[in-house]
Amino acid sequence: MALSTERQRIQHLLRRAGFGYSAEELREYLALGLEGAVDRLLSPERVDDSAADAATAVLRDAAFQDRQMLLSWWHSRLVLTRRPLLEKLTYFWHDHFATGIRKVNAPGFMLVQNETLRAGALGPFRDLVQAITRDPAMMVWLDNRANVASAPNENYAREIMELFCLGEGVLYTERDIKEAARALTGWRVIASKPAPDANFPVATDVVFVPRQFDNGVKTILGQTGRFGDEDLVRIVTSKPECADYIGGKLWRFFAVPEPTGEMIARTTRAYFAHDTSIREMLRVILLSPEMYSDAAYRWRIKSPVEDVIHPLRALGLTGRMARIARDTQAQGQVLFDPPTPAGWNWDEAWINTNTLLARANLMNDLTRRGRPAQAVDAAALLQANGATRTAEEAVDFVLDLIVGGDVDPATRALLIEHIGGMHYDFAQANRSGALQGLFYLVLTMPLAQLA
Amino acid sequence: MATDDDTFLTRPIDRRAFIRRGIAFVGAGTLTPPAFLRAVFDDDSRPLAAASAAEAAAKRHVLVVLQMAGGNDGLNTVAPIGDPAYFDVRPGLAINPEAALPLGRGLALNPVMTGLKTLYDRGQVGVVLGVGYPNPNRSHFRSMDIWHSASMEEHAETGWIGRLLDATRHEQDSLWHAVNIGQEEAASLRSRSSFVPSLGSVPAYVLQTDERYPAEGARRQQDFVQLHRQAEALAAQAEYGGQLAFLSKTGLEAYQSTVDLHAAVGVYQSTVTYPSTPLASAFRTAAQLITSNLATGVCYITTGGFDTHANQVGVQNGLLGTVSNALLAFYDDLAALGIADEVTTVTWSEFGRRVKENGSRGTDHGTASPLFVVGGGVRGGLIGEQPALSNTDANGDLKFTTDFRSVYASVIAQRFDIDPKDVLGAGYPTLPLYA
Repeated sequence: MALSTERQRIQHLLRRAGFGYSAEELREYLALGLEGAVDRLLSPERVDDSAADAATAVLRDAAFQDRQMLLSWWHSRLVLTRRPLLEKLTYFWHDHFATGIRKVNAPGFMLVQNETLRAGALGPFRDLVQAITRDPAMMVWLDNRANVASAPNENYAREIMELFCLGEGVLYTERDIKEAARALTGWRVIASKPAPDANFPVATDVVFVPRQFDNGVKTILGQTGRFGDEDLVRIVTSKPECADYIGGKLWRFFAVPEPTGEMIARTTRAYFAHDTSIREMLRVILLSPEMYSDAAYRWRIKSPVEDVIHPLRALGLTGRMARIARDTQAQGQVLFDPPTPAGWNWDEAWINTNTLLARANLMNDLTRRGRPAQAVDAAALLQANGATRTAEEAVDFVLDLIVGGDVDPATRALLIEHIGGMHYDFAQANRSGALQGLFYLVLTMPLAQLA
Repeated sequence: MATDDDTFLTRPIDRRAFIRRGIAFVGAGTLTPPAFLRAVFDDDSRPLAAASAAEAAAKRHVLVVLQMAGGNDGLNTVAPIGDPAYFDVRPGLAINPEAALPLGRGLALNPVMTGLKTLYDRGQVGVVLGVGYPNPNRSHFRSMDIWHSASMEEHAETGWIGRLLDATRHEQDSLWHAVNIGQEEAASLRSRSSFVPSLGSVPAYVLQTDERYPAEGARRQQDFVQLHRQAEALAAQAEYGGQLAFLSKTGLEAYQSTVDLHAAVGVYQSTVTYPSTPLASAFRTAAQLITSNLATGVCYITTGGFDTHANQVGVQNGLLGTVSNALLAFYDDLAALGIADEVTTVTWSEFGRRVKENGSRGTDHGTASPLFVVGGGVRGGLIGEQPALSNTDANGDLKFTTDFRSVYASVIAQRFDIDPKDVLGAGYPTLPLYA
């Protein structure tokens, strides 16, 4: 049984329900115990995140007119937030409702969508889908702003069923898509440039134009009526298949690769018992025995965003926010730019020789001593945590911080040897660069790619 | 290669067999990898001298596959300007017949594709018309999977190029025998026993250290490799061993491939000036690898953005122009090197688009569309039958006239000299792609 101690379970929880942990964060969550930790993660409204808000306020304002600022804004939130599950869930929804900036072509639209996702991340799911249906970025992305009664555009109608709520081929037919497209007609995005020399427009309103709405009777998934978008959302999100689909995705993202029908039934029950609440579905998952089973342990391969953000949070490196975009891009991922409407491909799809080299070279950069807040000062961090006396102590501290969990004796022995083994001397290991090398080796070893 | 038809496509990928067999590497001239690296490989690995790599290359054809992701609108790529109905169904989007580049039979290339037209006029482009498959799927993922795996199976584990690599493996293949130029995984390349590295650009492809501490840096690289080997041992016992084995294998490959690449590529000067687009750079990198003594035999390149649901004209024209100009530069380069007839490039997209334009000045997901087979001694011209606008399917979309697997089968049979059934699992009619 791999996750046998509460420490290991909380480390696993913080990897999955967040982006890892710094030494201080781990101490905080350990003090709460596992159930307390889950409760705190699921109640972000009780955690003060004003420091992250303040630190990103200027970036937020600039993001409306600058794509790089938009990326820096979200990257900074990812590094600084004290609400890791909320942020991880926003990331999950960003992939789920994948919307690409290349087509939307307005960073302000993407920012507003991101905030809509964060505000609705814990549910009710029905409200989140409704908000996304009228989100300006989504309306541009899947063309619902150009969906009119005389020439319906099926793009959003298809994806709301295939990708967002039911799954490919589940329950709906081509006929349902055509009828849904009719129910979605009549919406426009009102946008304008805030100043004559502004780069990009900003959405000021989303309006309904009755003469472009198909007011006829539609039959969608067995129900008939003069449906509009709210009816469509209500119909689709009230289907058990919707709860099953979303629950299955949540089980896979946070817990195990192959949730059983019985596990999905549990989250579906929570969905309907709590008015489509995502929070309650997650509570089922994060407190389940399956979450801490061998099947859940270390099966996910970190996505580029996780691979980059994790060491920055763990090591307190808050000085390279502007470089994060390049780092994730080198590994094959850029936020706000998913490759397809179904989002990114996960786990093994992230890994090839090119992207692994990029990961290793990033860790080289993060362990090149000399730039405070951009690269770890190994000696200082070990001193701050009282882990300098023996090679074993130093190695165990770094392993616990970065990979948290069991590590095979051969790996531990090699790392101990790297910093001097029996002849270990803290000052010497520091001078030679070996302590920096210890962090590099732990950050680049195969175990560290697993979450 | 023996195959069991029932399990043809769902046998688990034997990644560990790949490691056990060992990884051949290329030593070029006096450059040999550091002694400690020899420990990475099994005893039966052996260095591949430059001379025999070039020999191996000389015997083999090169395949380049360009994926145009998103569903390229075929009717505005090869337009039936001779059919008045084309202008009825595309009142806003139809290409200008006076500017279009005529191919014959009432068909013409989009006016931006002057580069491709130049190649076509040289007899180097086979335009295969109406390519698709029965019961077309309009989901990006499903349809891409179908093209990648050359199968209707839901979760095929291998891609057609991966199986081609397995069928054409030689003992002396370098690590760079096949390459994915880009960062996204290309499912066509998935195989049971062939590993395909991914490459962004040659100069960036190194494992960096902190050069201020040379002794530590060298030891760090050794320990990086050693940790990966040890992870393999752990993989045998752990529940998550599959991921660990995959990560450690790829890590070892990543390091070794940097050594091989820099030893072999040296100083490459292209004979032509490639356009400064990422796509053209990818083709330039392909030319660099093909002509090096790494003897790269397969290159996979992906370019995206073709999902033109709205405001199609500007977007698609830009993309087609980029593709066309990149192909021209690539084949001019290969011609100057004397190997244009040894390199076949096949383009593909997961589907074409609907016949009727939609209300957003774009088109939605459709069915059949043309693809291009360039170079490699192709018989230039129009191949197959253009689907008629007057005879569409129940949804009003084009009916395919050529199964895409016939394209694969024809290239495999006539350029790789193996039985296409070994790669595709079944027989498909051959196309007159070659004289």
